[in-house]
Amino acid sequence: MLARTALRSTRTFASAKNGAFKFAKRSASTQSSGAAAESPLRLNIAAAAATAVAAGSIAWYYHLYGSASAMTPAEEGLHASKYPWVHQQWFKTFDHQALRRGFQVYREVCASCHSLSRVPYRSLVGTILTVDEAKALAEENEYDTEPNDQGEIEKRPGKLSDYLPDPYKNDEAARFANNGALPPDLSLIVKARHGGCDYIFSLLTGYPDEPPAGATVGAGLNFNPYFPGTGIAMARVLYDGLVDYEDGTPASTSQMAKDVVEFLNWAAEPEMDDRKRMGMKVLVVTSVLFAMSVWVKRYKWAWLKSRKIVYDPPKESATRH
Amino acid sequence: MGFWDAVTEIIDAATPWATVEAEAPADIPAESAPAAESTEETTAETEAEEPAAAADEAEEEAEEEEEEDEDEIVDPKETLEEECRNSKECAPAKHHYDECVARVTGGTGAEGEDCVEEFFHLAHCATQCAAPKLWNVLK
Repeated sequence: MLARTALRSTRTFASAKNGAFKFAKRSASTQSSGAAAESPLRLNIAAAAATAVAAGSIAWYYHLYGSASAMTPAEEGLHASKYPWVHQQWFKTFDHQALRRGFQVYREVCASCHSLSRVPYRSLVGTILTVDEAKALAEENEYDTEPNDQGEIEKRPGKLSDYLPDPYKNDEAARFANNGALPPDLSLIVKARHGGCDYIFSLLTGYPDEPPAGATVGAGLNFNPYFPGTGIAMARVLYDGLVDYEDGTPASTSQMAKDVVEFLNWAAEPEMDDRKRMGMKVLVVTSVLFAMSVWVKRYKWAWLKSRKIVYDPPKESATRH
Repeated sequence: MGFWDAVTEIIDAATPWATVEAEAPADIPAESAPAAESTEETTAETEAEEPAAAADEAEEEAEEEEEEDEDEIVDPKETLEEECRNSKECAPAKHHYDECVARVTGGTGAEGEDCVEEFFHLAHCATQCAAPKLWNVLK
């Protein structure tokens, strides 16, 4: 009905625009829609039936599944509050002291379960560690060599070009060691989670002392409001004074979480400092070029813009030709 | 560091013959603090060499000191959020949460009721209020 009225109105509009040319067509269309307008009873029955079906489907759902406890806030998880991260500002870089502390937290706390498989030792050089420190760290681990003369693969100490070692051989081993839960790789975790830094910081620091009254926590799970579903397999790991920072920063839970989140953001976006500098260069160069182009345009168009066209009418003469 | 130091540093860094060095960070205050501790420990050890009983006492004292040091660290997030939870700003959320806890633990609530939603509102209010203050405190 609605479609028909819409069609009719456009047609009348079109015919009005085109004048008498479309007149015959319009009269034809009004005649054809007259039949439906004659029986409002049928329409009322159809509307009532549709409403009954809609209400009936809801009633049926309740009959089958009971009260609907879908889309609860617990399912969604608590959205993390925004924290004023300094490194996320436009003209700010990572705090590399914080990165150094964060890497220490990762190595001493997170690395026992979480891999960081996309970060090689070489990328730590100059950003977090010195060359010697990174080399010493790499040499603590063993890696496969190229096959030797007999085709055997031997072990060698790590080099700067090696990647940080994984805590488990494969995902199955990781699941087996963690009660069936797979600790995700942290290389890109800041980019991979909705809420990014805020979410991970809140997750690490947000474990309440006890779950709120009435909340059900599954077996082997821990209550964390920020984790969708609120049941997370990872227990709280950061406790005050867990790490001894080499620069003497008091290692409170939130300080460690902040540092490790900034480090993980670096791991996910190691190019951020360079990217911001490049963006600044782009802005500077394009603004200069734009200003120059404006001035050049004004220069090139000056002759046209500054000309004056004057119509000098002939003087009215008393004599007529 | 004065203004001209900054200028000369920039010029030094920009010159083509300059070398970029990934230096180890100079943590003068940090190094001094553990050094003091280590000297204490060494003195304790030197004392320990003479009588065994004195050594035990010294070690125990050192351990106690370390424990006290660890106990001193208080998470600013906890304290700030506790303040925020009790502030006027979060009073409605806290009121609802407390009421819900009383209802659920008292057994007068609906069947299967939990206080997760009320907890979320309170936690959201508290973290929202504490976030800027926390960043002023943290390094």
